Amino acid sequence: MSQSCLDCAQRSDRIFCDLEPEALEEFDGIKTLETYPRGTVLFREGQTARGIFLLCEGRVRLSVCSESGRRMTLRMATPGEVLGLSAALSGGLYEVTGEVVDQVQVAEVRRKDLLHFLHQHCDVCLQVVNLLSEDLHEAYDRVRAVGLARTRHTNGHGVHGHGFHGHGLHLR
Amino acid sequence: MLSPYGLDIIESCLTCKMRAERLFCDLPTSALQSFESIKYATAYPKGAVLFVEGQAPRGIFVLCKGRVKLSICASDGKTLILKIAEPGEVLGLSAAVSGKAYELTAETIDPCQVNFVKRDDFLRFLKEHSEACFKVAEQLSEKYNVACHEVRSLGLSHSAAEKLAKLLIEWSSRNGESMKQEPRLKLALTHEEIAQMIGTSRETVTRLFADLKKRQILQAKGSTLVIRNKAALRSLATTG
Repeated sequence: MSQSCLDCAQRSDRIFCDLEPEALEEFDGIKTLETYPRGTVLFREGQTARGIFLLCEGRVRLSVCSESGRRMTLRMATPGEVLGLSAALSGGLYEVTGEVVDQVQVAEVRRKDLLHFLHQHCDVCLQVVNLLSEDLHEAYDRVRAVGLARTRHTNGHGVHGHGFHGHGLHLR
Repeated sequence: MLSPYGLDIIESCLTCKMRAERLFCDLPTSALQSFESIKYATAYPKGAVLFVEGQAPRGIFVLCKGRVKLSICASDGKTLILKIAEPGEVLGLSAAVSGKAYELTAETIDPCQVNFVKRDDFLRFLKEHSEACFKVAEQLSEKYNVACHEVRSLGLSHSAAEKLAKLLIEWSSRNGESMKQEPRLKLALTHEEIAQMIGTSRETVTRLFADLKKRQILQAKGSTLVIRNKAALRSLATTG
């Protein structure tokens, strides 16, 4: 995997990465490349958002957790996805937990740098709006899957038909 | 001025007094003027459907006055209320941006004023005004947060009692009552609608309310609920 976004071969296939040359050069300047082993928690729900993680290589499990520690996998993020985007933009807390499944390479951008970058490049900001819309569509699909499956089982025990594995509920 | 459904219609965004308090509406003058030229101010009675889940997106709806129920529906007709939208919220946003079908159904629960913007006009507006684009990103982030919260609550709660307790605590924290010894909250929804918010039946909600009242955790004064025992309600919310 290339160290610089400028000579990354995968760039054109990836929605966020396919930036105009000027924006790409600037993005390359604010990102830091990191490699993390399997099992690393990149960000945890409830934690103040520090920035975004652009997934270059590997997979990340996105999950939510209840107060009692039960965990539900929402989905697997794949290369090209931008993680922690909505929390970084709103300045709030990460809504989900991101845990490395295979060794990953991520390009990290601090919140402050991201906001400055987006203010400079309106086209990228539009791209971000598109990505957030996609995230939201996915989230509504999960609400539909979880919520409407349960309304048929008003006793509220277990999520029938979604596969129940030990302490984790795996959807899909 | 004409006032359909008893609403005092805000004709112009430029002179709207509420603008500064609302996340999306507080735009710089140039963007606001441009928005003003593409929006249609419309009034709806209670019970009007703004858009239906699965419909191709026509545009966005900025809620100026009144409240709107946002729900999703299963093929067997079961309904789940995701949220009651309040003034200042932009509805139909992600569908209009992505061009995918509306994910939710939006139905007014009060007489409402809604400013509608056609999809093409809105996308052009976003391209020309980066500040508006930022505000849209913020609104989408907020909606994402609500959706994740809903997934967590529906997917990981053990019982209907736990979900109802969580909902009541959330409502009481919204109007600044949570610091009080005995927080009060106005019950704006029917038992049926509350059941649709927490994914259970109307009968279960009625039974749970009766039980909470019997245990002196809640007390009803007309349509106002008083939380008599905060600690007990909290413990229900965490353990079911």
